[in-house]
Amino acid sequence: MSNHAETQEASRPPGVCIPWQEKLKDLPEIKGDRELVQRVWEDVDALGYVYIWHCLLSF
Amino acid sequence: MAQDMERLYQERLKRYTTAMRNGKPDKVPIRPFVAEFTAKYAGYTCQEVTHDYTKAFDAARKCAADFDWDAVVGNMVYVWTGLTEAQGTAYYAVPGIDLDPDVGFQYKEPPEGFAYMQPEDYDALIEDPTGFLYNVWLPRASRDVEPPGSPTSFRNNLAFVKGGMAMMQYFSGFGDQAARLRAESGTVSAIAGILKAPFDILADKLRGFIGLTMDLFERPEKVLAACEALMPHLTWVALSGADPDKQVPISIWMHRGCVPFVSPEQFERYYWATLKPIIEEIIARGHQVLFYAEGNWRPHLKSFAELPAGSIIYHVDQDDILKVHDVLGDRFCLSGGIPNFLLSYGTPDQVREHCKRVIDGVARDGGYICDASAIMQDDTSVENMRAMTDFVREYGVY
Repeated sequence: MSNHAETQEASRPPGVCIPWQEKLKDLPEIKGDRELVQRVWEDVDALGYVYIWHCLLSF
Repeated sequence: MAQDMERLYQERLKRYTTAMRNGKPDKVPIRPFVAEFTAKYAGYTCQEVTHDYTKAFDAARKCAADFDWDAVVGNMVYVWTGLTEAQGTAYYAVPGIDLDPDVGFQYKEPPEGFAYMQPEDYDALIEDPTGFLYNVWLPRASRDVEPPGSPTSFRNNLAFVKGGMAMMQYFSGFGDQAARLRAESGTVSAIAGILKAPFDILADKLRGFIGLTMDLFERPEKVLAACEALMPHLTWVALSGADPDKQVPISIWMHRGCVPFVSPEQFERYYWATLKPIIEEIIARGHQVLFYAEGNWRPHLKSFAELPAGSIIYHVDQDDILKVHDVLGDRFCLSGGIPNFLLSYGTPDQVREHCKRVIDGVARDGGYICDASAIMQDDTSVENMRAMTDFVREYGVY
């Protein structure tokens, strides 16, 4: 792959719209289960990814 | 009754998967990709099956119940225009709205100057494909979606909510459809997951074919970089929809890499160089890929032969399937090769004669799945479909 592809892959990888690290900056200090918050964020964020890529591929 | 149907399903699944791995099953499997044919058979208009997917599902189930087919797609009239209208998609001509109710939906490729991606957009796509799709492509490809920085609108907001919820509803429906096909007619759902080549995506939905053709001469490095940027995403989407049991293949719908759209050199440098690694990644994860190779691909068969034996099913459209078999038959299962023209306008005897030629020439050692050359629309003759099905079932016994 070219450098272009490697740069992009590192910044917004497949399956991700808003990376967890970016979302984390918006949140106060998490008092409870941080992994739970991260997992659910990433699962639902992936739906946004699936939506736009299926708009392109399937419809 | 339910046990009989499950037994039939398992019998068909074994037949289908054995052939797909280039083995010899008990009979030649029949896996017709029937689209608007299902509407014609079930008594619906093209508008009904395109715009109301529950009717499309119903029509597919009716065909599966009435014909002795081993595997079908839950809905081969795949583009649900109820969804595309909900999000304001600009590039479809919809039966019953833009077209007569009995005409299949059409894709309207925009003129070069109005392509949804312009030449100056390459860097943005390459840098962040997902961001580009949301921020640039979708606002241009939708009548309702506004680009970032523009005033938002009621229609903009609704396009995302309705589009997202409709997509979830539609995709969830395929699970129920697969279960009903299995329980009601013992029919296997033929494929799971979708893949397109990076080059095809650039040609189909982004630059358009004319624009991309010019780019191959004016900015070839950008074209290659864009294809490479799309690769990990197309791989991810393909795997996300794959069969978890790894029995049925991911399908790739191949368009613009065939003859005469690109030269052999362009095929190797752009099309195959950025598709082959995706296929290899999918294979490495234990999935097969169905190459639905629309058009004439004979000059490129040697490239496909580089893939591991048994890793793909190669579907033959315009090429002579006997000649394809000479090149690929010892490595991969083949499907298709029954001309659509014959199925639409030939006689039943001509259909039977052609099926015999294909079975004798291609299927003698297994590794063949009966299907038309291309997706069957409502010009396909019911009588000829019956002739193909009955003849292959009777003659295609090992």
